[in-house]
Amino acid sequence: MAAMSTGKKLTIAGIVIAGVTAYMAYLGASSSWQYYMTVKECVDNATQVAGQRIRVSGTIVPGSLVIAPDRQEARFSLSEAGSCLPVVCKGPLPDDLSSTKTMEVVVEGRMEDSCTLHGEKLITKCASKYSTQKKEPTATADLRAGEIVR
Amino acid sequence: MTSMGQLCLLMAMICSGYAAFAVIVGARSEHRGLGRSAVGAACTAFVALTVVITVLGYGLVTKDFRFEYVTQYSDPLLPWHYSLSALWVGQAGSLLVWGWFVAVLAVIFRFTSRRGPRELRELAFGIQMIYLGFLLAIMVFAADPMAPALVPGAKGEGLSPLLQHPAMLIHPPIVFLGYAAWGIPFALAAAALISGRLNNAWLQQARSWSLFAWTTLGGGILLGGQWAYEQLGWGGYWAWDPVENGSLMPWLTGTALIHGLMTWRQGALKKTTLFLAITTFGLCNFATFLTRSGIFSSLHAFSQSPIGWMFLVWIAASVLGGAVLILLRKNQLMAEKPLAALGSREALVLMGILALVLLTTVTLLGTLAGAISGLFSTTRIVVGMAFYNNVLIPTGLVLLAVVASVPLIRWGAGPTRGRVRLLAIAAIIGFLVALAALACGVSNPISLTIAGLMGVLLASTFLAIAANVPLPPAYQPKSVGSLRSLFSAFTRHRRSYAGLLIHLGFGCMAVGITGSSLGSRETDLSMTRGQTVEFEGRTIHYADLLQQDLRQKVVVAAQLEVNGPGGASYTLEPAQILYRPQNQWGSKVAIHSTFGSDFYVIMHGGSEAKKIHLTLIDHPLICWLWIGGWIGLVGVVIALLPQRQRRESDKDKLSAHPVVPCPHLATLTQHARHD
Repeated sequence: MAAMSTGKKLTIAGIVIAGVTAYMAYLGASSSWQYYMTVKECVDNATQVAGQRIRVSGTIVPGSLVIAPDRQEARFSLSEAGSCLPVVCKGPLPDDLSSTKTMEVVVEGRMEDSCTLHGEKLITKCASKYSTQKKEPTATADLRAGEIVR
Repeated sequence: MTSMGQLCLLMAMICSGYAAFAVIVGARSEHRGLGRSAVGAACTAFVALTVVITVLGYGLVTKDFRFEYVTQYSDPLLPWHYSLSALWVGQAGSLLVWGWFVAVLAVIFRFTSRRGPRELRELAFGIQMIYLGFLLAIMVFAADPMAPALVPGAKGEGLSPLLQHPAMLIHPPIVFLGYAAWGIPFALAAAALISGRLNNAWLQQARSWSLFAWTTLGGGILLGGQWAYEQLGWGGYWAWDPVENGSLMPWLTGTALIHGLMTWRQGALKKTTLFLAITTFGLCNFATFLTRSGIFSSLHAFSQSPIGWMFLVWIAASVLGGAVLILLRKNQLMAEKPLAALGSREALVLMGILALVLLTTVTLLGTLAGAISGLFSTTRIVVGMAFYNNVLIPTGLVLLAVVASVPLIRWGAGPTRGRVRLLAIAAIIGFLVALAALACGVSNPISLTIAGLMGVLLASTFLAIAANVPLPPAYQPKSVGSLRSLFSAFTRHRRSYAGLLIHLGFGCMAVGITGSSLGSRETDLSMTRGQTVEFEGRTIHYADLLQQDLRQKVVVAAQLEVNGPGGASYTLEPAQILYRPQNQWGSKVAIHSTFGSDFYVIMHGGSEAKKIHLTLIDHPLICWLWIGGWIGLVGVVIALLPQRQRRESDKDKLSAHPVVPCPHLATLTQHARHD
């Protein structure tokens, strides 16, 4: 039998590498995919997405944010295009999460029941880089010496 | 001031447009007068653009709130250096910086480019001028950095506290410099395709500019990672966010391009190399499309802007145009000879390029997943970090295996018997390193494989250098002659050694990434003053909480006294900072870094019970990621040093002094010299 050419051997090696990469990508995708929805889509399809991993982007309704004293839990309403979704997030919260201004956030979690999003990860959007959006006016800081007040 | 800036911007656009027209027509018609006028116009565009960037920079430093840009990104209390850094924070400012870099590099290219046919150089210069004109047109019509303030008398909204970090002073401009520099290999490749001059003429210049672009973009990415690690306070340095992916993808294809350029010299991979030059440039522009189109799910709050779609049109035109030209010239781009052997350097480089292209493709698909799924369904699907990390395993291992073995592999043929013997020694050393890692408690198979491959890389690098060290016949270990010949060997093989150093840097980075990804330990806890806890062999005592009232911010820092595993004692001060202008809190993480691991502490806040809430993270080996970057940088600097022309007298001396390998390795390396 004639010996296989170098080109053919390289093609086979390339196919093997591409195949393994594609398989690893498939495994990674199947373990980490999630729906990316707007608040309105999430509210409209609440029953269909119950129990599914979802990522929702929206704005925290002013006045709705309640942060636990140990900053390990936050409750708020997320709004977008006239729709509103109650959210409960557990775990360490971003430093800049505060009720003093309007905040755009991304929440990753699951719709455990038909009306509340249980967030596992809360991320505030990086504020000003390349953005042309106007910021809200700032409020005065409230501090007491020797103690962190959030 | 704003009117003068706008006038300069308009003048720069018109001049770059004229320069592009004149230089291309002049090159085709061999009309030297047109070519000269084009250079004058390009220099005028550069000067006008320099005036614009100086005016805006001065406006930012002096807090001149007559500029809309200054009111958006500065405030009266912002330190001058952070105010200046706002130059590349906003959309219009970042485009201005990018355009200015394109102008600077185009002028440098025009006046330093001496090698190769004139038509090729002129065409490449003309293509750079077209690109500059495109960026300037966007600034003039859609993103004016010189726009006057909408509200007269406004006092500025300030810079996001997250961006007030030393790394942010240099990370974005270095990335933009990298993007601008990738335009030159693209211009050279496009000029070679248009003119049909597809010999080696364009390679030399493309190689130097590619190395420069690769270093600046890579350095920028690494600085960005360091900024994220130290400033964002989430414990990591890379989140596979679309913005990060946008800068990584051109760097990956650029790495493939540099290796493609080397393989071109051997008469192979010509079409691939040209396509990589075009794709890398396209991906640099794609990064901008990502941040401006508003169609991606990102952690960054980017505004939707029409300029994203302008960039998409530009990408489509450049990539499709390049692909069509490659197809038209395919007969000239045929490989000069078939690949010699599976064990040849060409074959290994091809495998490395394949791994890089696969990683880029998968990153691109992951980044676009939401947009692609939105085309076929009403609900969009996005993928998480596991998707990218999974793909990094096979592609990273292939790359490290290639890098580890390539020092002992030659161009054009499989390894000789001597080289096979050296490879076997390197493999044995690698195996021993993996066993040592196992004995030290490393049990993850991927970590062990990486440790083994790192051992192979170190051994093969040392053996390759030793095999090339020529010494005079009368070998005397401490003689001046031996030192001179050692230096001579390093000078003659400087570029090869630079390559080895860059590959060593890559190996160190692989160790840092693997160690910190697979070996990290993390815990969240609350502490009261005076309390002591144990974490990963460390004793942490919460001593005190200190508050500092400064002009622009309030810093509340916890004092943690730590006793490390080796008996080392140190104090860490993780803090929460209130930035007054924005009324925004931020974390200042505390890091104790050693070669073995980083101890990383984040303070999240406190409560009425005077408790502080902390996240403690142990990141093994992470400092090797940064060290690897620095090693790679040194390698690139060595590679870019101008080649010294050898004098005739030196040649005579060399020929009169036949060289033999170092006696300790003479037996092993007698069949293993470079061809």
